[in-house]
This record gives sequence, C-alpha cells and structure tokens, in this order.
Amino acid sequence: MKRAGRPSEQLTVDELVRYGPLGHAEMLVGENLARPVSRVALISDLDQVRHCGPGTAVVLSRGLALGAWAVESALRLAWERSAACLVSPAVVGLDQATAQLARRMRLPVFVVTGDTAACALDLAAAIASPEAARARLAARCAELFAERSNARGIVGVINSEVPGVTAALVAPDGHVLAGQASVDRAEHRVQVDVPGPDGRRWAELVAATAGPSSPTWAETVLLILRLARGPLAASVARERLEAVHGAERGRAALRALFAPPDPGPAAQAEPAGRDRGDEGRAVLEEALGWRVDGRHVAVFLRSGTPLDTAATGPGVISAWQEVIDDLPLVPWETGWASWWTGEEIEVEQVASALRRHLARMRSPIPLSAGVGRVAEGPEGLRESLSQAMLAAGVTVRDGPGTVRSFDELGFRVLLASLSQPELVGSARMVLADLLSAPDGPVLVATLAALLDCANSTSQAAARLGVHRNTVLGRLERIRARGVDPDRPDQRLALHLACYALLPEVS
Amino acid sequence: MTGRSITVEDVPALLAGAEFFSTSAAGEGIEFAGFWLEDILARTGPVELVTADELDPDTPCAAVGAMGSTVAMAELPPSGEEPLALARSLGGRFGAPLGAIMPLNAASVNALHPVAAAAVLGLPLIDCDGMGRVFPLIHQTTYELAGLSLSPLAVVSAGNDSLLLDTGSARAEQIARSIAQAAGGWLLCGMYRTRVGLLREAAIHGSMSRTLEVGRLLREHASDGATAQALAGDPPWPEVASWPPHARPGDGESSRRGTAPHEHLLRDLMAATGATVLGGGRVVELGPSTRQAGTVYPGNPTSMVVHDHDSGRLIRLEAHNELVLALADGALTAAVPDLLCLLDRGTLRMTGPERLTVGDQVDALCVPAAPVWHSVHGLGLGGPGAFGFPLRHPRQEGR
Repeated sequence: MKRAGRPSEQLTVDELVRYGPLGHAEMLVGENLARPVSRVALISDLDQVRHCGPGTAVVLSRGLALGAWAVESALRLAWERSAACLVSPAVVGLDQATAQLARRMRLPVFVVTGDTAACALDLAAAIASPEAARARLAARCAELFAERSNARGIVGVINSEVPGVTAALVAPDGHVLAGQASVDRAEHRVQVDVPGPDGRRWAELVAATAGPSSPTWAETVLLILRLARGPLAASVARERLEAVHGAERGRAALRALFAPPDPGPAAQAEPAGRDRGDEGRAVLEEALGWRVDGRHVAVFLRSGTPLDTAATGPGVISAWQEVIDDLPLVPWETGWASWWTGEEIEVEQVASALRRHLARMRSPIPLSAGVGRVAEGPEGLRESLSQAMLAAGVTVRDGPGTVRSFDELGFRVLLASLSQPELVGSARMVLADLLSAPDGPVLVATLAALLDCANSTSQAAARLGVHRNTVLGRLERIRARGVDPDRPDQRLALHLACYALLPEVS
Repeated sequence: MTGRSITVEDVPALLAGAEFFSTSAAGEGIEFAGFWLEDILARTGPVELVTADELDPDTPCAAVGAMGSTVAMAELPPSGEEPLALARSLGGRFGAPLGAIMPLNAASVNALHPVAAAAVLGLPLIDCDGMGRVFPLIHQTTYELAGLSLSPLAVVSAGNDSLLLDTGSARAEQIARSIAQAAGGWLLCGMYRTRVGLLREAAIHGSMSRTLEVGRLLREHASDGATAQALAGDPPWPEVASWPPHARPGDGESSRRGTAPHEHLLRDLMAATGATVLGGGRVVELGPSTRQAGTVYPGNPTSMVVHDHDSGRLIRLEAHNELVLALADGALTAAVPDLLCLLDRGTLRMTGPERLTVGDQVDALCVPAAPVWHSVHGLGLGGPGAFGFPLRHPRQEGR
C-alpha cells in the first residue's frame, strides 16, 4: 500500500472524497481536508496506529467496532501520529461527542457502513496512482459528455459525476443557460470560455468547489471543464441549426397557409386554393404542432432598426423559446410572427402576457411588438397578423419592450406605413434645412412632439422629458430654419415628414 | 486486639463508604441492606474488627460475599440465617469451625454481608478484602492472585437452598451464577476457606476501615451541606441537584471561603483514598455502548461523556455496570482494576450512569487499586483485557 512519487502528486483527503473511495462514506467530521494522504493502514489492533507515519489514512477494521471509545482511542493515536484521516466502521454510540473531539483535533473522520477492508483497498488503489484516479474521473466524464446532446445534459454530467463541484453554463450577461445558478455566487470557482458556432466566446462554463481546493484538484476540474467545451459548442451549433431549420419550415408553412387562391383557370381556382391552404394547415398542425383553427390573436415582434432577420433569427427564437416554449415564433417579413389561440382569448390578455414575456426575454436585439384583433380560423389569423404588423410598426417608435394593440392605436397604425423609402427620401429633402442643423435629429423629434400635442409646448416637454424652456428654445431654432408649425396648410405635410423620419432620428 | 468494633451507629457510614467503592453502579439501591444490618447488630451487639496480624495464624477463616442482583436481594432480602448454613457447610467439610470472617470485597452490599455474618456467627471480622472495590466476578480477587482456592464454594440462596460446590474458580463462578438465576436472583457465598496466616500476602488490608472512613467523610459533607442549606432556608438537596454549580444554594458559607462544597469533599476524598480527579463538568452524552466480544459479564454496556469544565477535555467513561475505562480526549487515562467513580456535585453523593441524565454535573475520580492488581497477573485477572477491552492499562504503557 506504499506509494511513490513527489508529494505534489499525492491525493488529498478532499480528493479521495471526490474520486469515490471516501465519497460514499459518511463524513462525521470534515475538518482539514486538504492534507495529502501518503499511505493507507488497515488497523485491526489499536496499537498498530502507533506505527503509522504522518499522512496515513487510518482505516479501522470491523474487528475494532468495539464502541465509541475504540474510535476515540484510535482518533487520539492517529492525531498524535499526524494521520491524514480516520475511517471507522459504523459503531453504536458514535455520536456528537466523538465528532466534537475530532473537530478539536482537526482530523477528518469517515464512517463506512459496509466493509472497511474494501474501502481500504479502494483507497490504496487510488493513492498508489493519483494520476490514474484523476484520469479515470476525467475519462468517465468525457464518455458521458459524448452521450449527452444538449447543454443541460452536459453540465448535468459535471454536477452529478464530479463530487463537491457544482457547474453552470453562464452567458456573458450573467444569465445561467444551464446548471446551477448558485455557482455564480460561489467563492471558489474555476472557469473556461465556451466558443459559439462562430468560434467566438459564446458563454462561460463555471465550476464552483465547496471550499478552497488543492492545486491538483483545481487542475482536474479545469481539465473536465475543457473536455466539456467541445461537446457544448457542438450542442449549441446543433441548437442554432435546428432553430434556423425550424424557422424556415415555419415561414414556408405560414406562407402556404396565407397564400391567396391560385389565379389559374376559373374552374380549378376554388379547389386548388383549398388544396394549398389545406396542405399548409396540415404541415402546421401535424408537423409543427401549431393550432390554426379557433380564435386567434396574432402578435408581431420587430426591431426598430432594419436587421437581417436570418442572422438574428436564431437568437431571437431561442430567447422566445426560453420564456414561452409552447408558442411558435415564425420569421415573417421584417420581424417575427406568433399567435395565441383559445376559446376565450382576449387582446388585452395577450398584450399583457406579451409585455411580461418581452421583459423577460433575453433577445439579442431590442424588440417591440404589436397585437392584432381577435379573429377566427386561418383567414382571420392572417388578418390579425396584418393588424399586429401595423401596430408593431408604430410601437418601434416608442422604444424596445413596448407592446400596443391594433385597437389601442386606432388610426395611428396608418403611420406605420410611413417608413416607405420613397416617402423617407422626400421627407429628408423637405426637411433638409432642419436636418442640417447640428442638433437636426433632436429638432425633428421636437417638431413631431409639438405637432402631436397641437403645438402645446408644455405637453411636448412632458412627452420628451425635458423642460418647457428647452422646447421653447428648440422651437425658436426650428422657426429660424424656416419651418413654421403654426401654418395650417403646411401642417399635415410637415407632420407626415416628421413621422417618416422618426425611425431614423430617434 | 485494638478494641475496634462495628456498631449499629457505624452502619450509615458503612453504607456510604460501600457506595463509594462500588464504582458508581453496583451501589445502586443497597439502602435496604443498611436497615437489615442495623436490625442484626441491634440483636447481636457490635462486631469485632481485627487485623489479620492480631489473630492466630492458624485460625480458619473464609470470605463471605453475595453474588447476583442487588435488586433481587432488595425484593427478597436475606433472612440473616444464611451465614449459619455457610459456616455449617464449610466447617463440616474441613472438620473445623471457622474462627474468623473476611469480606470478599468491602464495597457495595458486600461490605455489609460479612459484618452480618460475623455478627450472626459471633466471630471477629478481619479488616481486609480481596478486591478493594467491586468486580463483577467472584474470582476476580487478590485471594485468587495469591493462589488461594475459591472452592469449595458454599452457597445459600434466597430460598435457603444450600450447596457446596467443588470445582475450579472460574467454573465455580459460572455455575454459581446459573444457580443464582434459578434460585431467586442472588446467593450468599462462603469461599476461599483458608488460614489467617496466609492472608498476609493474599488480602488487601485495612479495606473495612477505609470504607468506614470514606463513608464518614461523605456523611459529614452531606450533613454540612444540609445544615448550610437549612440555615439559608433553601429547598432540599434533590431539588437543587440539577442546578448549575455557580447558582447552587447551599454554597453559602463555603463559597464565601472560595471553595464549592464538592471541591471541599473532593479534597478530603483524595486525601483519604489517594484518588485523583480526572475531571468534572456536565454530562454531555449518555447511551448504550457495544458489548465487548467474548465477555460474559452481567450488566449493560453504557457509555457516557463528561465535558471537563476547566480544560475543555471530553472524558468518555465506559461502563459495564461498573465503570471500566476513562478516556480523556481519546487517550486512556484510567482503567480497571483502578476504581473509577462519579460524584454528583448537586447531591454530594456517589452516582452512576443509571441515576444520571445528560446535563448533570459530576466529578470523575480514580482511586488507584492495591499494588497487587497492577502486577501482570493482577491486570490479567482484573485489567481492561479481562473486560474485553483490547487496551493496555495506563500503567503498562511504559512496560
């Protein structure tokens, strides 16, 4: 049972707990676990403890299960010989007093219910080749990593297989993607960066150890984290790929569902149209699990700035699925469409639910949303979605996180169409003088607010969140640029121009 | 002849001393024997207490002591006639009547039986014994160590069954214990029939006097405590038993002198017996322990832990009816054959695992056994090994 090697290669009591031989034993006293264990001694006679050298793991044989007194005697002798730890069979009366004594002596004590001789053998095997013990643990983890397909499973392997370590996959913003949230608050941590599919840092795999760990143990944990890195990157790539694939299927299905009847020969128009609609519906209902019949309220999510939805899509969809996993989110035109279905569904209900979810969503881009009216069946859904898209066009002006319904906005939804490129170009030309001012965009926003508020400077100031005098000052500068908001014949055109430019200047 | 005798007035002190040397457990519930002995002494007159040297070396003598359960004996007390049957058996066997009685052990109820026997038989009582304490087996004696023969063993039961057993010592003990169980729970035994001259080497001398002296000390302190308490108008002792030591009434005068009553008593006991105090404080754990393999001792294995107030050490006491071991912080500090006993700080009486509960305040004492017990043979017969504990006696450590 003797070992060879440098002291730094010796396993500590702590590691013997982690690697297994002592992991299944009850830890009566867990003091001073960082001590290296040099050898194991199976003791059948108390006197044998006197011959143990420093750093010995003293294991009492079953024959010494003579009472708490025998354990305490061994404890005392082991302490005098500077042993690393004491392993005892379960004994009647082994209680608080013994634990108290061990704590005073700062000697770890473990109680084994089975055969202590077997435990001694396991310990000896582990101590004889510390590298092998560490490698075995790492190999077991690597094997299990390969069997897991998602991040949660991979982090779960670390949490279940590496004793005394809790792990979590943490996004750069601190959000816990998988594993135990408590890791973030832990004092003793080991961490590695996990690359995303693009090779850049996507998240951090963090492991917390129960206490200050030995350098070798920290190394082992680090090795295991590194082993997890590849499978994690692969799993996130797979998830992204699935998300893109799913989104494309969804978009295709939705397009099929909303497709107008075939403009072919009149005789075939009706059946063909129905066929295509039915086909789309079948895909939606069967393959994607969507509900197309019944009462719907459609919602539309979009960002204020024009973005490539294909690039940002996976991030938005996975963020959506994190908070709402039972509703689809389909890339649609300039944003993403979804809908609530239910017999008693109401617009207000959907709007407030969506508001809540948007606040929780960790979307890669700022989003705001519009909500359509309640509608029946696939036809109604298309209409409701169109309404939601119009409403969303208005809400982007109010900033991220805003949710408005079509009805709530009233005629203002019309203004959502004003961001047409031609109109925007004309508006830029008309208001060129104003825009050329150093604070041009601010002046345009102020002008829009004034027009919205029927030229009331105090109301406009409240809406913009500035002092009324500031608004008065800006109004002076607007007038100085040849723009007079008081002229009734110019008013509508001016108002429209401002709205067309608002997405750019805000 | 010194003219010393044991009278009715000595019985309470004898009882208290018997309790002290009973190593905290065997002295449980022996009060009945006090009244019983008082009755006998009132009838027969005092018993003459002599040293072995004072008698003719050829005087035939035998050890008297009871074995079995004191609880059974309290329920079915001896009639007082039992010693006559023992004397008849042994006298008939050897063809000569007994000339003196010696105690098997001057502790527990067996401190009283030889006195009663000497009184009933009208014989002198030799001031010695064969244990110096209580041992669970009747052959764990210095008589045995000196080579005296235990048998023939004369026994009389509660039902007046009488038997003379001729066999080896250990076997006699084994058979007699079965008989005791069958015949009412206890037996009065007459054994180690010998001549006074042989006792010089075989006995622990002065045991009866020592028991009486310690008993008187305990009685004095108990009455001092009671007086101080009466003067202070405090409630009687039993109610204050569990009070914390600093707040205990009855400290009255003695606290003003700067010494708690139990410390005063401990000092006197140490002077009288050569005892050392292992430590004292609160009982923090008390529960059943493991029966040591291969042992045949009557009684229940119990383990208790006392948290030493001054040093913070944990003193574990293993009892097997009698207290067998004391470990301070896991190190063996005292063990049989040395006498371990516990003093209840509240009542100033000897106490034991059966009377204690967690939270009580006690002092643990160790009274060294007679030197012969520390010999190799002595430790073999009455040391920790004899009780199934694979430990060396602290005195053996250096050997």
